[in-house]
Amino acid sequence: MIWVVMITTGIMTFLMRFSMFSGLINKPLPASFDRYLRYVPIAVLSAIIAASVVIDPATNAPNIGTDRALAAIIAVIVALVTKSVLSTIAIGLSVLWVLQNLV
Amino acid sequence: MISVAQPLMRTAKKRKLVRNNPETPVILAGVFLCALPIDKLGRLGSYRAMTDPNPKQEFVHGIRDQLPLQLGVIPFGMVFGVLGMASGLTEWQTILMSSIIFGGASQVVFAQLWMAGAAPVIVGSSVTVLNLRHVLYSVTIAKYLCNLSLGWRIILGYLLTDEAFAVSIKRFEQNPVPRHAHYHLLGSGLTLWTFWQISTAVGVWLGTTLPAHLNLDVAIPLTFIAIVAPILRKMPQILAAAASGLVAVFGQSLPWNIWIIAAALAGIVTGAIVERGQDPS
Repeated sequence: MIWVVMITTGIMTFLMRFSMFSGLINKPLPASFDRYLRYVPIAVLSAIIAASVVIDPATNAPNIGTDRALAAIIAVIVALVTKSVLSTIAIGLSVLWVLQNLV
Repeated sequence: MISVAQPLMRTAKKRKLVRNNPETPVILAGVFLCALPIDKLGRLGSYRAMTDPNPKQEFVHGIRDQLPLQLGVIPFGMVFGVLGMASGLTEWQTILMSSIIFGGASQVVFAQLWMAGAAPVIVGSSVTVLNLRHVLYSVTIAKYLCNLSLGWRIILGYLLTDEAFAVSIKRFEQNPVPRHAHYHLLGSGLTLWTFWQISTAVGVWLGTTLPAHLNLDVAIPLTFIAIVAPILRKMPQILAAAASGLVAVFGQSLPWNIWIIAAALAGIVTGAIVERGQDPS
């Protein structure tokens, strides 16, 4: 049973990724949509970031005082200053571990 | 002292000569004509190198752009491997899910719901709604891929994950002649795929010896912070991120994981409206 659900879910995921260049929809979006599409990466990734760091996993409620929220704020500063993916992840994780061991 | 002063004097004199000379336009035209071929050659050279790399260069470029993100992907893959086993899935179910679904957050949700004993329809639809954001990726990237062969489009569709999209859309947008840019997505997508499979397998192998208090799952939001923060330069982008974040946080109680697509749409519309307010053209 789990295989059926897994494969169905996999196919659904693939179809969503493939949908807009599958060739089934022949008309490309008009250029006026570019203004919207420009914000797709920022909007989707910000949603994932906010839900992962602002929601406290212990209580399932918003909390910006957790170690992971503080580590994320440091990570934002590191990303703005260094523009380096490696530094952002490495320093963000290190800050989280230090904070956890301090308390 | 003299060696510095002399050429300066000479230049000054020349300038004066040029400025006072009635034939200035002719001289300027001559200088312009002489400079033109050099400038054109220079630009042609850099044009080739910058905007029309061959497929192999694009592929390597894609790999190189995707590699730094693996510092976040590897821990998350391991976390999923551990979680899959802890949820009661078998080794093969956990490992093959990384190929069949190939999406970090969706696999975590799948494993957790399955462990909780949710009905198959609930598991499938929850993951599907969570993955609706990929339709947004698909529509954004469609204009760059729609002329490729079906085989190419199927492979790139399979590889179109958060990370591959985030890295390659930049390349597509910056490339004025994206003739081979799909090789960039192939390179970045395959890199991510390979690291995701290996790290899942390592997580399965480590099992519960991987300490949970390391909170390695936070590596993924950190990866996305590294991508998003540097591009928040103007008001529309900042407000788009803020709107999306607020809806994501306060929409958690909405059913079926709708929060993610609701937040994404809120961010997109906010960004576009603010941009239109600033520049109505």
